[in-house]
Amino acid sequence: MPLTHSTEETADGIVILKLAGTLDAMTAAELTPTINRLVEEKRMKIVVDLQGLDLIDSSGVAAIVALYKRTRSSGGRVTVTGARDQPLAIFKLLRMDRVFAL
Amino acid sequence: MAMDQRPVIRLSLPAELRFRDVAMRAVAEACRLVGRPRTAEGSFTGSAASTTQRLDLSDRFAAEMVSAVSEIFNNIAIHGYGGSGAGEIAMEMTVAPDHLAIQISDHGTAFDPSQVPDPELDSLPEGGMGIHIAKACVDELDYTPGPPNVWRMIKFRKQARRSRPASHPL
Repeated sequence: MPLTHSTEETADGIVILKLAGTLDAMTAAELTPTINRLVEEKRMKIVVDLQGLDLIDSSGVAAIVALYKRTRSSGGRVTVTGARDQPLAIFKLLRMDRVFAL
Repeated sequence: MAMDQRPVIRLSLPAELRFRDVAMRAVAEACRLVGRPRTAEGSFTGSAASTTQRLDLSDRFAAEMVSAVSEIFNNIAIHGYGGSGAGEIAMEMTVAPDHLAIQISDHGTAFDPSQVPDPELDSLPEGGMGIHIAKACVDELDYTPGPPNVWRMIKFRKQARRSRPASHPL
């Protein structure tokens, strides 16, 4: 299954990063340019919307953790919303559900 | 066929990440067969495969088993074979009425579990999470370096027997 992703910005400057499909060792690299751009633009509030995400693996989690850490180091905040089924189970297993305010 | 018949599904795949989806679909289908009603003779009725086109992981048992296998597959393809794409990953899935046993073997570089400490989850690691995920998703996981290197995992569909010992009648 492929990964599809898109970003949109709300009126009050929150960036919504929508991910759908599979975020894994194959597809995580597709997200790198977007993550780099958001970090370079010093976005302060990023919401990662996983409503459409069916599957994540450790590489996919690492990509979101990288976005979280890099944004935090410039004073911003990343939250994750909409995780369900397998992705939600993996975040809980890694005890990241609280970090990302799931 | 006898009641305790355990169908075995064997699959051999190129050790490339692009083939991982094929492995995951086979695992998800095998998961659906665990606990599926059988005839008095022990066989399944109808097709052994589901008809859904998407990889359906809404069933927790399948979601966890697929998660474990995908992490092991990643590990072998990326580390065992160094991402070269050369080599094969062989899978053998034994479908028991209450559990699924999966054996995954390869001829790549052997893995040393002692080199992968448990991740420090509180520090938000960006690596080393794969084996941790695999371990947490199944009931038993063990590894024997080869060649061939062999991973064995077992997952029960019902966990109740672990939390309710026989010595503790209800």
